[in-house]
Amino acid sequence: MNEQPVIRTQGLTRYFGARPAVYELDLAVPRGGVFALLGRNGSGKTTTIRMLLGLLEPTRGAGTILGYDIRALPPEARARIGYLTEEHQLYGWMSVRECGEFQSPYYPTWNEKVFRGIIGHFGLRPTTQVKSLSRGERAGLCLALTLAPEPELLILDDPAVGLDPVARRSLVESMIYLTRRSDRTIFFSTHQLPDVERVADHIAVLDHSVLRACCPLETFRNSVQQVRLRFPSAPPPLPKIPGLLQAFRSEGELRVTCVHYNGATEAALRALAPAQMEPVPLSLEDAFISYLGDRGEKSFILSETEAQP
Amino acid sequence: MKALVRKEFREQVKVAALGLVIYTLLLLQQYRNYRLLPHATMQPLVDGGFLMSTAWFCALFGAVLGWLQIHSERRPDLWAFLMHRPITRTGIFLGKTVAGLGIYALVAGLPLLGFIVWARLPGRVVAPFEPAMLQPVLAFFLAGTVCYFAGMLTGLRQARWYASRALGLGVAIIVFTLMAERPEFWQGLVIICIGGAILILAAWGGFHSQGHYGGQPAWGKASLTGALMLGSLVVVFAAVVLLSNFFPRREAAGPQFSYAMTKTGAVFKVTTGMGRPPEVVDLEGKPLLDAKTGRMIELADLRRQFASGIDFNLEPDERNRRQSWIRADCSRFRGWGATPATNPNTVWYYWDRYGRLAGYDLVTRRFIGSLGPRGFARDLAGGGDRFSNPMGDRRERTLRTATTVFLVDVEQRTTRPLFATPEDDPILAVQEIVLNGYDWEYTAVVTKRFIHLLTGEGKPVWSIPYEPAYPDYARIQVYFLEPPGQFALWIAPSDRAKEQAKGKLPTHVVWLARDQGVVKSADLPGLPAARPEPGVQDKLMGCVAPPAFVVAGPLFEGGDWPTGIRRDLLRLSLAGAVLVCLPIGWWLGRRYRFSLAAQAGWAVFHLLFGVAGLLAFLSVQEWPAREACPNCRKLRVVDRAQCEHCGADFAPPEKTGTEVFTPLEAG
Repeated sequence: MNEQPVIRTQGLTRYFGARPAVYELDLAVPRGGVFALLGRNGSGKTTTIRMLLGLLEPTRGAGTILGYDIRALPPEARARIGYLTEEHQLYGWMSVRECGEFQSPYYPTWNEKVFRGIIGHFGLRPTTQVKSLSRGERAGLCLALTLAPEPELLILDDPAVGLDPVARRSLVESMIYLTRRSDRTIFFSTHQLPDVERVADHIAVLDHSVLRACCPLETFRNSVQQVRLRFPSAPPPLPKIPGLLQAFRSEGELRVTCVHYNGATEAALRALAPAQMEPVPLSLEDAFISYLGDRGEKSFILSETEAQP
Repeated sequence: MKALVRKEFREQVKVAALGLVIYTLLLLQQYRNYRLLPHATMQPLVDGGFLMSTAWFCALFGAVLGWLQIHSERRPDLWAFLMHRPITRTGIFLGKTVAGLGIYALVAGLPLLGFIVWARLPGRVVAPFEPAMLQPVLAFFLAGTVCYFAGMLTGLRQARWYASRALGLGVAIIVFTLMAERPEFWQGLVIICIGGAILILAAWGGFHSQGHYGGQPAWGKASLTGALMLGSLVVVFAAVVLLSNFFPRREAAGPQFSYAMTKTGAVFKVTTGMGRPPEVVDLEGKPLLDAKTGRMIELADLRRQFASGIDFNLEPDERNRRQSWIRADCSRFRGWGATPATNPNTVWYYWDRYGRLAGYDLVTRRFIGSLGPRGFARDLAGGGDRFSNPMGDRRERTLRTATTVFLVDVEQRTTRPLFATPEDDPILAVQEIVLNGYDWEYTAVVTKRFIHLLTGEGKPVWSIPYEPAYPDYARIQVYFLEPPGQFALWIAPSDRAKEQAKGKLPTHVVWLARDQGVVKSADLPGLPAARPEPGVQDKLMGCVAPPAFVVAGPLFEGGDWPTGIRRDLLRLSLAGAVLVCLPIGWWLGRRYRFSLAAQAGWAVFHLLFGVAGLLAFLSVQEWPAREACPNCRKLRVVDRAQCEHCGADFAPPEKTGTEVFTPLEAG
């Protein structure tokens, strides 16, 4: 296994006008496996991918992809990188076969079997024109065009956006198929957390243009924990708790979600003298929503809510 | 690249088909216009309508095609799909360009070729043809490729000022204008090549940076800046022309003097300008009074008393020196006349290349022969005998060689000598004189040593020595006075001689009578030339004109721009560049922390190109945001790793305590 990261950035930053879309991004994507880039809309995922592929000039900072400077990617680097765009846009007048014929001459490693296999998997007829394909079918065609060159690194920009569950499942299956080769890396941005849960080894989380997490998926899942505290009466005010993400206050109950839950956190919570204190299992989606949701304390006590102006 | 070329061809096939139909229809309209005229005496290949149709079509189709080739992929994801393929950006640019130019060549070239072939088939066009006549249409066809790259650049460019995306089209406008005005065809081609090279490099650079200025190769940046500067120049000049309509035109400084001759042969000196009514005095300085009112005569009343006359301007090459090559190529022959009364009907042209009249049969539409000084011949060369009339010499009955004026009869296909002169006294000019509007009364012939007035039949009326002599005295006027049979001959210095003598050369005037010869003569003192001063429009133009062009302009124009105006314009132009453009450019450069080399480079650019340069500078630069440095609290630009004031790095993102990072492990 090669220890050199396939993608590495240092202080990568991009401004649009006076607003930073990506700020001081230090990212390292290990070779092999599936790396998911997560974040809310507008957090900078697509901007990051475009900068990585040399399609957008960074405002400052540097980066390499497969060892090449992202500001000057040579054709041989692009030949090793498959890129699936967010909108799955293709030339509407082309047929499925023509799309393949347009793409294949550029790639010496083009695998026609893979191309046919994927378009077959998505039920696409070679003579169908792109403009008459559904969004899911277009995504399948794009995936086929991206996978047929058998790229070493596959970058997918929110590949499942707008797809129905069946198409999404097909897409994920294709990604799993692709990772059968251990030296192949998939770097994808998405909102679909179940997909991430199924295929990703590592995740990175962008929050308001800033990288807040970059770790193996399990590490992230284990880092975010929720604890339910029950009280005989209204829960007491919450003290300052390190790593607090969210706290939901309701009648006789306080649910606290923290990152890096440890002994200090537990001690701080026990100091509130709850009648009962128990951990709540979190799915990745819950953990992610807690991580990227509004920070701080929220109250569901109706009397308190009504009392607010 | 083949796949890309095929894709581009396929993608633009509808536009190509539409263009093909439109241009074919335009040319069919030209064909129809020609066929509908039963006695069409023109060469359709140099016809104004044909050339204008071709120029407009090539320009518009080229620009639209170039723009569409980019616009159809302008959606970010589709553009990314195209750009992310294992081929250099130069390769993608070439693929698109090869396809685009191929389509352009097919759409504009095929109908054009068909039209040319039709015009060249024997029995189709009743007019002379020379390969050089194809030069104008070839130039317009080639200039259309400049528009193609201008359209491509417009589609590519990403800019803060949306309208500045179209500034590249200004280069195409300049190319079309300059190319058509140059005196030589090769100069037109050079202008097309220069304009094309600027736009090609600018478009090529745009492919490297997705249309932004930043991230382009140096050649791309320089060309883009040059293209936008030229485009800005077109916009600024158009704005000045519009604005200057509200101001008076250029006026001469000080009074303007001239002489006038009345029908009775009296000479008066007329003074105009200075915002005063014109003053008319005789040669002794007495004012000319109106007999009815007793007041000074009005200029309009005096004009009614002016004698009619003819004017020879023999200034060497003056008439042809500034003629554009397009005009020259479209004037390689001119219609001489037709013979509708005879059978067969014929039409005749004076063909400069052969110095002979070429005749065509209007029925068979074929060449029938040529007419030279020695008479009719079945071919164009004849016996090698040829007339020597310049093309601008508009005669209807006579043609001349160096020593003989011939009366030409195309009905009889004969020539007859009307006037002859020795070889050492060659003919300089001939004019047929029609005084009452329709009857050919006289022929004036100027030879190197004499000036002759002949009757229409060639009988001498008078002949006097040409003194003062040619070439210093190159302006000759013959006035026909009353009662008939009285004449006046003015021999005036050429403009060049006047300028050299600082206006001190006199004008020689001779009064003649039909039977008496010279009656009297006089020398009129030279008059001071009016010195034109720049008007408001000139001053506005001067303020916005690039100093580099003000200096270099006269070199292209032949160096005869009035010195005073040029100096004034240069002064204004430099003032605009130094006082406005340079400080603004310098301030912006400092604000956004340009390197010293960049500051100096832009300063030179602003000095050379003034307002247009400043606009180009503002169009290409995308100013980085500025934010307060956490170390020194000063505003610093965000596109540098360190603060330009204190050298501090950018602060890492503020920690929230919720970060989850682990050291990198291989997957």
